[in-house]
Amino acid sequence: MNLITALVIGTLFAAGIYQILRRNVIRAAIGLALISNAINLYLFSMGTYNGLAAAYTTATEQISDPLPQALVLTAIVISAGGFAFVLGLLYVLSTRYKTSDSDEINGLKH
Amino acid sequence: MTSYWLLPPLLLPLAGVPLTLALRKYPRSQQIAALLVMFAALLSTLTLLRQVLRHTALTLQLGAWPFPFGISLTADLPGTFMLTMSHLVLMAGFLYAAGSTEKVTRYPTFYTLFFALAAGLSGAFLTGDLFNLFVFAEIIVISGAALTANADEPAGVEAAYKYFYISTLAAMFFLLGVGALYAAYGTLNLADLARQIASTPLSPLALAGLAFLAVTFFIKSAAVPFHFWQPDFHAAAPTAISAMLSSLVVKVGVYGFLRLTTLLFPTVSLLKTLLVLVGIAGVVYGGFGAAGTHNAKRMLAYSTLAQIGFILVGLGWGTPFSIAAALVFAFNHALIKAAMLMLAGAMASRAAVKSASFSVVVGVGKYHPFAGILFLLGGMALAGIPPLNGFVSKFLIFWSGLDSANYLSLAVLGLASILTVTYVIRAFMRIWFETNPEAKPKAGDSLLAPALLIALSLVLGIWADPLIVLAQTSAQWLNDPQNYIRWVIGSG
Repeated sequence: MNLITALVIGTLFAAGIYQILRRNVIRAAIGLALISNAINLYLFSMGTYNGLAAAYTTATEQISDPLPQALVLTAIVISAGGFAFVLGLLYVLSTRYKTSDSDEINGLKH
Repeated sequence: MTSYWLLPPLLLPLAGVPLTLALRKYPRSQQIAALLVMFAALLSTLTLLRQVLRHTALTLQLGAWPFPFGISLTADLPGTFMLTMSHLVLMAGFLYAAGSTEKVTRYPTFYTLFFALAAGLSGAFLTGDLFNLFVFAEIIVISGAALTANADEPAGVEAAYKYFYISTLAAMFFLLGVGALYAAYGTLNLADLARQIASTPLSPLALAGLAFLAVTFFIKSAAVPFHFWQPDFHAAAPTAISAMLSSLVVKVGVYGFLRLTTLLFPTVSLLKTLLVLVGIAGVVYGGFGAAGTHNAKRMLAYSTLAQIGFILVGLGWGTPFSIAAALVFAFNHALIKAAMLMLAGAMASRAAVKSASFSVVVGVGKYHPFAGILFLLGGMALAGIPPLNGFVSKFLIFWSGLDSANYLSLAVLGLASILTVTYVIRAFMRIWFETNPEAKPKAGDSLLAPALLIALSLVLGIWADPLIVLAQTSAQWLNDPQNYIRWVIGSG
């Protein structure tokens, strides 16, 4: 289980970083979303260091730490809002420049 | 000790968000309400400062959850010092926005976003919890980017995209650091974390966490190899906002380093060395960058790189004296940089085409001698010429460097700060002494806010004692991390 989680997080990170380094701004935005999900999984797995059972008061096995789950919830909300904002900015940029290549978006070069 | 005085400086700007949203149909009353709420927030911060001076430090466990389970707000002297600085400058920012001719300041949600920025800043300086620092930093980033995306300048959208993208990546590094520290110590409360880090030998996981946090704060404070978004972003933002961004928002990263080097990881000397190196790089690069730009606002944005460099060097030297000097520097730089950016923006609003580019604002100052005097005073402060407050801060930094015998870095700093004089004088000459037939007398943004800030700079330059004493007391308090831990835990 540990290995699978670690591999999934690693793969998501790798895919996200690869997409971030592309010149296409939409791919870059998707890369951002992938990385934020990788980090959410990573935070989530931080809570399972002493058990995997859900943290009910009635649980008999070793329960997982519920705090990272609350953190992940906050992080998901923030990253969803941020992703929407990035897409909004990209919409304006794409209508203005008629391109999705970040090299051609060059109004700041002066 | 527990105190409810911590709440108003945070809750008042936060309450301003729904209030201004409700008043969005009534621009005039929205503006007046915004100014009143911000003024009330400033007063409550000054009250908090008085309380903190009397009781050394105040904490509040939100929801009365016992320490360390609840979310704690903590106001010790350094945090309150930064909070006072930010509320003073925010008040000036609101005043400037009220008298501004920029279209963006008339948007129905301008003040809403501005209050969100203010609330994020207050929260970041008051929180005693690492994850809340992340949340407040995100509030700052989103509101700052949204305000810049709506700027009159068309490049605002691109600048906002660039900034938002980089800052979101920084926030993710922050979460990585939070995760690593949580896995290592099982807590995110700063006091609890500091106690546990101090009581056990440093684990590799904690060092990884430190590295991630350091990267985040480097990006947030626009320290030099991490600065590429900063000049674009600060130059494209609406003037009232760019004054806040360049003077206050970068200080959140500085504040993060203050906590990292004095509270969480006081024993890691590598971080301090890194801060000195990055700071010197910033001073040199920012100085040359500012000397080479063709736009007044961009020049001031580059100059922020240099000034943040000075503060980081002060933190990196790490003696109580140099930390006090860095705090004074941070405070004075906030006042000066906000005033200078406002003056540059005010001149841009009086130019034939609204732009801060030197080719446009050249000669505009002919009809505005009062703004010229303010700009000259602000420029002297930036360059560190007495009797302005910039002299006090640079003098303290150099003195603290002599004190701890860092002659090599001192020499570089000294040479690089000559650049400041060069670019400030050049900007002043171009705007006020060259002639330009296209420059006509024209009304523009109100000069009230920068005049107040420059007056405050002058006062703090001549009567610098209270500020220095405050900073020295803060630095002594920071010198022993046990102070912070004892106060927060004792009240829990």
